Amino acid sequence: MKLNRILFVFSAWMALWLLTPSAPALATQGHAGIEGVWVHQFAHMFFLFSMLLLIYWLRQAGLVKRPGWRFIQYAALFFILWNLDAILVHFLDEQVRAVSVNHLGNWKIQVTAVDGYDWLATVYYLTKLDHLLCVPAMIFLMMGLRHMLKEVPPATTDKGGRR
Amino acid sequence: MTASLIPIWSVDVVGSILMIVFAFVSYGMSLRLKKRDPNNIILTYLLWVCLALFVFAISRSAGHLLKQIFLLIDRRDLWTAIQPFSGAVNTFTFIVVASVTLFFERTWVIYGTILKDRQALQNAHEELLYLNQNLEQLVEKRTEALVISEQKYRRIFEVSKDMILVTRRDGRIVNINPAGRNMIDVQSASGGEALDHQYFRDFLSGSGDWGAISRHIENRGFISSEEFDLVLKNGVRRRVLLSGSLAKSPSEDGETIHFLIKDIEQRRLMQKQMAQADTLASIGELSSGIAHEINNPLGIILGYTQLLLRSEDAESDRFNDLKTIEKHVQSCKAIVEDLLNFARTSSPQKENLDIHGIIEDVIGFVRHHSNLENIDINTDFAPRLPLARIDEKKIKQVLINLLMNAIHAVEREGTITLATGINAATGRIAVEVSDTGHGIAKENLSRIFDPFFTTKPTGEGTGLGLSVSYGIIKGHGGNISVKSEPGQGAAFTLTLPVSPPHSGR
Repeated sequence: MKLNRILFVFSAWMALWLLTPSAPALATQGHAGIEGVWVHQFAHMFFLFSMLLLIYWLRQAGLVKRPGWRFIQYAALFFILWNLDAILVHFLDEQVRAVSVNHLGNWKIQVTAVDGYDWLATVYYLTKLDHLLCVPAMIFLMMGLRHMLKEVPPATTDKGGRR
Repeated sequence: MTASLIPIWSVDVVGSILMIVFAFVSYGMSLRLKKRDPNNIILTYLLWVCLALFVFAISRSAGHLLKQIFLLIDRRDLWTAIQPFSGAVNTFTFIVVASVTLFFERTWVIYGTILKDRQALQNAHEELLYLNQNLEQLVEKRTEALVISEQKYRRIFEVSKDMILVTRRDGRIVNINPAGRNMIDVQSASGGEALDHQYFRDFLSGSGDWGAISRHIENRGFISSEEFDLVLKNGVRRRVLLSGSLAKSPSEDGETIHFLIKDIEQRRLMQKQMAQADTLASIGELSSGIAHEINNPLGIILGYTQLLLRSEDAESDRFNDLKTIEKHVQSCKAIVEDLLNFARTSSPQKENLDIHGIIEDVIGFVRHHSNLENIDINTDFAPRLPLARIDEKKIKQVLINLLMNAIHAVEREGTITLATGINAATGRIAVEVSDTGHGIAKENLSRIFDPFFTTKPTGEGTGLGLSVSYGIIKGHGGNISVKSEPGQGAAFTLTLPVSPPHSGR
């Protein structure tokens, strides 16, 4: 009952806040511009760190000897690589703006790196293919779950409904 | 750098579609896993990870696909409006996936604990099931084992040669084994006199003995190898070694004391005899040393005295004085000779002789030299006695000593018996000299073989007769012992070696 009351008060307050015409929020800090990129980068780093920890714990517990958990370990590894890739892309084109992309039409693009660092343009072009890392991660996760399904026997129900 | 957009575009579109497909499949699999084992916390955790990844994949891939679609239809403005929201959702899903992942370690520890508890429960369940199914058999087996064990310990209790006694703390006898019953002559409940009315303290000789035992047990919980004297029903005392401990038996109400009591009377007597033999041996060595030292000067005194006697007139006073010296020196020499005999310095000249003949000779000699008017000397000779391996002179000396002592003991009237026999256990000849005299006081029994110990008035005996006899018999490899009760006479028993079988009679 108490929880429901709290939720109701909170929802009412949120609705009032959204419907009220906006005015300069002088009492609170603004969160526009580059801040969103920083938050996104932190989220990537948090994701990367958690995957590193997962691999460490899986190895500590000796779970990687089982095929299911071993594939989940590989999935974590590919998520780490994907996060590194994503962090680099966001860094180049949104944080330091070291590269700029111009659409030339006819499925052509012009990638320009600052100070004529052409190799940086190539690196940026390759890092944009990030699905080549996150898709294998999902595939390994799926394979891991499939092995686990093989390991866990199907549930049987007796007359009393107990396993 | 100018490059084709097709690789990026196609990888983005195809990758996004695949991400959505694989996210769906993975989430479906984790749901199936969860259904198979709903109580498995690890599978629940995996479901949460998959759900977070599913949301992440949908959000991200949907965003990417929308972006490509809006760009294709040239509605960049729409994408510009949606982009921040899509990016924020992506950021949020990263954080959710990472946060859920961080719970893995704790979840795994909890899972391990659950598994352990489940295994313990399973084991307990199986054990209970086994006990339930086999209870009757197990009880039967255990009962059988108990019966065997009870029989084993009952047998130890029954056949023990030592007394095993169970009493209450106040000494009331609860149980006693047959050896104990024989020792203190109490009857079991079935035998008449009930054990319940008997107290162990009544069988202890000292009035404070039970108190001492109780104190020991009170302070330490046990008493170990302490010597006490038991008084039996016929008044005889018996030395015992007592050990006991306090025991709280679950089947009996109250505490009981369990005693193990060993009869050490025989051992004590033997120890006394051995101590006496040791003492006599020491005195013998000492006497021998002194006798040798005195013998030579006595010889010189006697020699010179006899030399002086030759040149003296037989009627003179000096001659009489010298004769007195000679007489006393010879008396001293006789004592020294006796001491040497006691110390067994000269080895006996053993021959195979008929002991009966020797006894007859000794009786004849004594009858001839003593006044035996009212004293009967009887013989009770065993037939077919083997020859004894003895020194005739020395054994005669022993027998004369014993006979003279017996005559002295019976005083004016009485009977002296000389009996022979063969000791079946040792195969030796036994000669017993018994009398109906005044007997020997208990306190003197252990000292009668000591040199110079005598109960005769001063001047009537040197106290060496029995010592010399002891030395002679020990010198033969035999033994001499005495039994006596005051007022009921005394009996000396000699055991002597027999001649080897081949020598014949």
